[in-house]
Amino acid sequence: MEKKYWKGLDELKGDVEFVEKANNEFPEEIPVDEVFSRKSEQPATPRRDFLKFMGFSLATATLASCEAPVRKTIPYLIRPEEIVPGVANWYASTFSDGNDYCSIVVKTREGRPIKIEGNKRSSVTRGGVNARVQASVLSLYDSARLQGPLAGGAPSSWQEVDGKIKEKLQAIAAKNGNIRILSSTIISPSTNKVIADFTSKYPSAKHITYDAVSYSAIIKANQASFGKAVIPSYKFDKAETIVSFAADFLNSWISPVEFANQYVQNRKLRGKKTMSRHIQYESSLSLTGSNADKRIQVKPSEQGIALLNLYNRLAAFAGASTVKDKPVRFIKSIEDTAQLLWKNKGKALVVCGVNDIYSQIIVNAVNKLLDSYGNTIDIENPCCLKQGNDADLAKLMEEIKAGEVSALITYNTNPVYTLPGAEEFKTALQKKVELKISFADRADETAALADFVCPDHHYLEAWNDAEPAKGHYSLAQPAIRPLFKTRAAQESLLKWAGVEMDYHNYIQDYWKANLFNTQSKYTLFETFWTDSLQNGVFDSSMAPAAAKEKETPENKKNKSKNKAHRNSQESGSENIKIDLEAASEGILRNSSDKNGDWELVLYEKAGLGNGSQANNPWLQELPDPVSKVTWDNYVTMSPADMRGKYNLLERGDNTGDVITLTLGNTTVKAPVYPQPGQMPGTIGLALGYGRTKTGKVANNVGVNAFPFVQWRNETFQYTAGNVSIGATADKHEFAATQTHHTMMGRALVKETTLSEYIKDPKAGNEEELFVYTSGKESSKKKSEELNLWDTHEKPVHRWGMVIDLNSCIGCGACVIGCQAENNVPVVGKDEVMRSREMHWIRIDRYYSSDMNAEKGKEEGKGSMQTLREMESPSDNPEVVFQPVMCQHCNHAPCETVCPVLATTHSSEGMNQMIYNRCVGTRYCANNCPYKVRRFNWFKYSDNKQFDYNMNDNLGKMVLNPDVVVRSRGVMEKCSLCVQRIQEGKLNAKKENRKVKDGDIQTACAQSCPTNAIVFGDYNDPASEIGEVAKDERCYHLLGEIDTQPNIYYQTKVRNTPEEKA
Amino acid sequence: MTHPKLRGVLLPLALLFILPFAVSAADPDGASLFKANCAACHSVGKGKLVGPDLKDIQKRQSEDWLLKWIKSSASLRKSGDAYANEIFGQYNIEMPDQSLSPSEIKAVLGYIKSEGDKASAPASVSTPVGGEGASAETDSSGDNSFYVLLLIAVILLVVAAVLTRVRNGLQKAIRAKNGIPEPALLPARQRMYVWARSNKKLIAVAIIVLGVWSSVKGWYMLADVGISQGYQPDQPIAFSHKLHAGEMKISCIYCHSGAEKSKTAGVPSVNVCMNCHKAIRQGPTTGTAEIAKIYAALDYDPNTMTYGPNSKPLVWTRVHNLPDLAYFNHSQHVKVGGVKCQTCHGPVEEMTVAKQFAPLTMGWCINCHRTTQVKLENNHYYDNYHPVPELMGKHGRDTVVTVEKIGGTECARCHY
Repeated sequence: MEKKYWKGLDELKGDVEFVEKANNEFPEEIPVDEVFSRKSEQPATPRRDFLKFMGFSLATATLASCEAPVRKTIPYLIRPEEIVPGVANWYASTFSDGNDYCSIVVKTREGRPIKIEGNKRSSVTRGGVNARVQASVLSLYDSARLQGPLAGGAPSSWQEVDGKIKEKLQAIAAKNGNIRILSSTIISPSTNKVIADFTSKYPSAKHITYDAVSYSAIIKANQASFGKAVIPSYKFDKAETIVSFAADFLNSWISPVEFANQYVQNRKLRGKKTMSRHIQYESSLSLTGSNADKRIQVKPSEQGIALLNLYNRLAAFAGASTVKDKPVRFIKSIEDTAQLLWKNKGKALVVCGVNDIYSQIIVNAVNKLLDSYGNTIDIENPCCLKQGNDADLAKLMEEIKAGEVSALITYNTNPVYTLPGAEEFKTALQKKVELKISFADRADETAALADFVCPDHHYLEAWNDAEPAKGHYSLAQPAIRPLFKTRAAQESLLKWAGVEMDYHNYIQDYWKANLFNTQSKYTLFETFWTDSLQNGVFDSSMAPAAAKEKETPENKKNKSKNKAHRNSQESGSENIKIDLEAASEGILRNSSDKNGDWELVLYEKAGLGNGSQANNPWLQELPDPVSKVTWDNYVTMSPADMRGKYNLLERGDNTGDVITLTLGNTTVKAPVYPQPGQMPGTIGLALGYGRTKTGKVANNVGVNAFPFVQWRNETFQYTAGNVSIGATADKHEFAATQTHHTMMGRALVKETTLSEYIKDPKAGNEEELFVYTSGKESSKKKSEELNLWDTHEKPVHRWGMVIDLNSCIGCGACVIGCQAENNVPVVGKDEVMRSREMHWIRIDRYYSSDMNAEKGKEEGKGSMQTLREMESPSDNPEVVFQPVMCQHCNHAPCETVCPVLATTHSSEGMNQMIYNRCVGTRYCANNCPYKVRRFNWFKYSDNKQFDYNMNDNLGKMVLNPDVVVRSRGVMEKCSLCVQRIQEGKLNAKKENRKVKDGDIQTACAQSCPTNAIVFGDYNDPASEIGEVAKDERCYHLLGEIDTQPNIYYQTKVRNTPEEKA
Repeated sequence: MTHPKLRGVLLPLALLFILPFAVSAADPDGASLFKANCAACHSVGKGKLVGPDLKDIQKRQSEDWLLKWIKSSASLRKSGDAYANEIFGQYNIEMPDQSLSPSEIKAVLGYIKSEGDKASAPASVSTPVGGEGASAETDSSGDNSFYVLLLIAVILLVVAAVLTRVRNGLQKAIRAKNGIPEPALLPARQRMYVWARSNKKLIAVAIIVLGVWSSVKGWYMLADVGISQGYQPDQPIAFSHKLHAGEMKISCIYCHSGAEKSKTAGVPSVNVCMNCHKAIRQGPTTGTAEIAKIYAALDYDPNTMTYGPNSKPLVWTRVHNLPDLAYFNHSQHVKVGGVKCQTCHGPVEEMTVAKQFAPLTMGWCINCHRTTQVKLENNHYYDNYHPVPELMGKHGRDTVVTVEKIGGTECARCHY
């Protein structure tokens, strides 16, 4: 038996109190009371307890998560015949919002649209889409949309609203009060007929068309010149020389998607060695200007004079009468341009983006001298877009102010936001118009003032038709049942006009009556209708007569020559109306009254455009193609001006100075962003920002530039002189995705000139040789000969892309296309400032610099000084765009550093990224020479901090169910749209055939309006990519490190004259 | 040493096991013939279906008449039989001629009679089908080996306790005989301690065994987290795959039509059920109760055969749940690979309630991809395929092209 030792007498005696204390020497109870009671100010939660709690909760959470959740599945009660769950359906439709037009196909999964793609069958947009059209699918799932009609700002029912509106309209009609329908351009013939029906019911009603960004000067000028109040169709693909005066035709001017496609036809160097020459005269560096072969910086006040000079030079060549002009500083450029144009007479095109009738009349005269009509301009088959009439609108405003308008119905337009005198208009509207009805999909700036808001369907929920150009029709069909209790605006109008008819039947009736008889292919209307619906488009000009033109090229040439001749004679006879003298005087008068400090140019961004889709986070986060700034608009100013006149903060950690802009009574505060290429003495400001009532994403982002729109000579002007700026002490932070602007002498984008290229197709793409020393032997070798790695075998496919830098215009459609396809989250301005944007594809934009290594040496500058100067772009730089996504290297640096093999190589040439294997070391991103890997710093879905589309159930409906939503802490990057590749392969296997070239398209390649990206299988001998990859212009990005990517780039070729190169 | 008592327990136990297997199904002819030929349109005592309820049919008509009717109802009607024409008038649908021999028809009639008697008898659980006494135990034909083991364990524990008592008694007796005083009874804790000190080796072994066991057990337990093999949730409708796919031999693709076209095989929409159940209004096991749920979902009235407006979808519980991170496509496996449904889903045709058969783990997928051969020659898709030595084993000798050899185990085939 063991001895027992006592700790003291107390224990020996068995003192109760002592024993209790002794047992409690180390009290281990959890001090719940202390933690949860709020007795003291400072919560007494010691670190150890905190750890205990944490450990406990961690353990319970882990245990709880072990149990698999019970998942329910709800099958269709009666499955629609065409839907197989898990298989996508595609519907042809049409995007037309009064600003853009695109024929599209909509991808739907289980009845919800998730992706928009271009319709290749359209002869107008030819399969192209732009960023806004791509992003429009997200606007469908915008939680800011109205869920039903509003009466007096309160939710109401259709029955009630209809009753009240009808009553009021009838009362107004009875006293012969004026009813006005104000809309943006309506290209739908059926809608126009609906409005006609409405006006016939209410004879005091009148339809007024007004575009936020107007082109009415072109219409008026054509009326004056040719007696035809139209916007002609332009044929950039037929032009060898393109001269643009401030027309941003690749980004915003009239029909940019159509023009971009036409433009690159003559820029691509596949199978030919000629390309068009493009000269741009402009003030702000636009997307189009960035792509020009030669860009001349011009102040807005000089544009007209430049045109006069050009006309006079050409008139001298042609022996026509000249007009009065004024000398300009860049007369040499004008002379060169005139010569070039004259040389390419009949194959030249001059366009002008100034909404000024005088300038447009001169442009018409120039084009007539150049024989453009019938060759590069088709005025017989005009374009139907942008029919806004500024004079009508001005008249309407007068009427409203005078209290002469009793009812105003606004459709697809937001005048309170887009009109320059918005405040005045607003008060007049509130006080003097007794009935205000809006068809807006949300309670926007105008709809908020309306008595009744009758929300229209989103275009993906509705039937519609469109006629973008004369003879070209397209149909829009619903791809989803209406999400909310909305109603087509056309149906509302019909209802109020007393016509009880479904708009779908109405369109059918219209097509039956007006279009069915313009063709001879179909004998039954039903087949005509279903085929048109399936194709999405119908060209009534495809009559036998038009088809005959498909003959031999010579024949065609002769024919067009004859036609041109005929045309010029014809228009010659109508010549009487061109009053060039008056136009010239008008231009000279207008240019002389600019005497202020600054001239302001308003422009549209590739993302937001005129701001109608502002509440779309994808578009807000799309970097501006030129400045690369997201989530903002700002004053663009030449760096020289920033340094010289105002000593503004030019560039430092994305911070900029805020200045005030004043023009007349209008003053706004806006930050300044340095923009190389901006004409000194001018500033630019983007339209479409500064919305106040469009939704949580866009409210109060940027400033509204519409108040600066000027009214002059019956048109709205988007330039203004006499703008003064003032300094403020405020600073503003920019979220730019690119903060280095030059290539620093490295050939990331390989460039050459057309003349060099003709001499040697490998020009600019010379092989770089490296010194290789083995023992005492030393030789020069190509990078791929100095290889450490084994090759990966590709037994079936080898996927890849070839990107033609000559065709890429930098528009950003691919970025949005990729975002929609691959569930790429929106991260917000704050995160973009930390360079944490998640886009899988980015478009790098580089400016040329005046400094280079040789020049630095010649001038005796130190290497540091040279490098520093190489960082700053030229004052009028050449610009290059380069889309960069994962290069899918065969010898990938990322793969070798991943400690958990979360990124590996596939036998089809893809670099695979496995999210669930990734532990987030970010070694791969650090080792990637292309910096294309993106890290999920946060969970971007279901997270209040990132309150964009992935945080609400409605917005999440846009997600692609075949692509996983990544969670926090994992790396992601371009997968080469592996889900599409797998789908294409599976379809081939199911059909017992090989994969056909073109069956599989990545989202970016599909989106590209200029087909700059060719995707395919290098192993397929018959593939387009196999052919293109043999081209001498192909090179690998950073080829010297020999990562052997599956992505090739093709050298950019500029058509600049030899003496400059 | 065989305890006589133990023998007494084991014998009935053994009998209990043998008996259920000894009981065989009685009256095979009539029942199966009825199910195969008649059940689609007729019930016995469960109301009208397409044709009349056959309960007490012998009471209504003579066997002779029935024989003629079943052989060819049309010719019987033509012969001017009043009852035959009356029946036709009631149901307005002709009963197809049955190619059954008179003896088979008699067997069917016998079955109908016995079923009819059964239905009219007051509801009693233990009505013997074949007469032999099968106890209620046979119904719960579950796994009762666990209970047997438990019983044996209890018996062994009792034996051990008895033996310990006997040993202690004997020790006490020896001590009493030799005059050794009884040792002082220590407190239980100290006794444990003393015992432990004198059995160090045993304890060491026990700890090691316990340690190894618990880590192995723990390992497998953790490896099982998230795996729900054998998952068999209750469903809103007691749908039996055994009946539909097994006995009725309906092809899987008939209902799960997505399997050949889509990534998901799909839970059939209710209109697919209605293809058959518009006619078949009563099932053999649950009667009308479960089929009524289909009708309720569609708001269908079987009597008037009309659909109402108050349809509401059925909410099923998913049995096979792949995580979102894995992409699986049924059509790739079923249509292209020619994999049988049962390979992954097990003998569904024998399952009353659908059950997850395979573990659905990545290892399980990969193992199959490693061993399954691809028939390159059967599909023109593979025309461009060229064997690569690197992928075909070290010296290119490996001539069998498995799914793995064409990249079927690469990450981005399933994870994107």
